[in-house]
Amino acid sequence: MTCPFLEYRSEGDGRSFDTERAYCGAAEEFVQSMRADVCNDRYDLDHAEHCEIFREHADR
Amino acid sequence: MSYEDFLAGDPVIVTAALTGGVHGKEANPNIPETPEEIGKAAAAAEKAGASVVHVHARKPNGERSFATADFQAIDDEIRARADDVIIQHSTGGTGAPDDLRHEPLRTDPAPEMASLDMGPLNRYDHLTSENTRGLVDSLYDEMRERGIKPELEVFNDGHLNEVHGLLDRRDLADPVYATLIFGPGTLTRPRPRNFLNLISNLPEGAAFNTLGFGPHQLAFATMGVLFGGHVRVGLEDNVYYERGELAESNAQLVERVVGVAETLGRPVATPSEARDILGL
Repeated sequence: MTCPFLEYRSEGDGRSFDTERAYCGAAEEFVQSMRADVCNDRYDLDHAEHCEIFREHADR
Repeated sequence: MSYEDFLAGDPVIVTAALTGGVHGKEANPNIPETPEEIGKAAAAAEKAGASVVHVHARKPNGERSFATADFQAIDDEIRARADDVIIQHSTGGTGAPDDLRHEPLRTDPAPEMASLDMGPLNRYDHLTSENTRGLVDSLYDEMRERGIKPELEVFNDGHLNEVHGLLDRRDLADPVYATLIFGPGTLTRPRPRNFLNLISNLPEGAAFNTLGFGPHQLAFATMGVLFGGHVRVGLEDNVYYERGELAESNAQLVERVVGVAETLGRPVATPSEARDILGL
């Protein structure tokens, strides 16, 4: 299951892109390429374990 | 390599790290991400003086890819647009399974060089890129089998021990080529005394490449030039040209360090000269 804060957008954070990119609804910014793999729980990555942003916002 | 090599005016190899896999256009919209963009950036960097381009692969939305096919598409674009530049694939990949880390080595033809991360480093607050000795050995073995020169990435002092350990376990071709990396977090703390300490502990006969992250890029590249080493610059490692001013391109960063090297009296190696220096 991917992170509930993950969205794919082409606009946000005052910027726009040709292709939709990973956007963090908790941090309210586009995320780095590597962090997007954490958001998507790809490979051996898990947002609940590896993302400090999720961990900080999950209980709010 | 030493100050004597600087005095001798030996050529300096400039590597351009074009795109990386950690940040992308969200950090600087000038970072090339598609194969076409990376190919154009490679040609411009070569024209500016780079003899090696270090590449990572990405998906169309900028996210990381480790697939052989995506590296192949990038190489095809580079070869179509650049003259003679040396292609160096990254085998880095925080969180990626070991089998995927081998995929960048399997293009046709194989890249002339590939990176080899020498040990663990922390990412964010709860993630570590492990780079076990078992993975290092298996990546090295496939590089040797395919005729790929390893670029040993030394993220901190402990990783230099790992270089010596790899030399105990495997018979690397001369010259051993190590990139010394300086910056925040798990990296070697970016101080001149640490640079001097690292180069004094390199294996006998090793050549070194100097990589400073962010605001340390130009300063450490200059130290690399002064102490007979080689240098790496590019948007993977530093998205700014000056404090608060985003870099316009990889070529802009290459041009600046080429100017430093030439001002200090070291000519910049052509791709052909770089092949001779590195024993490719």
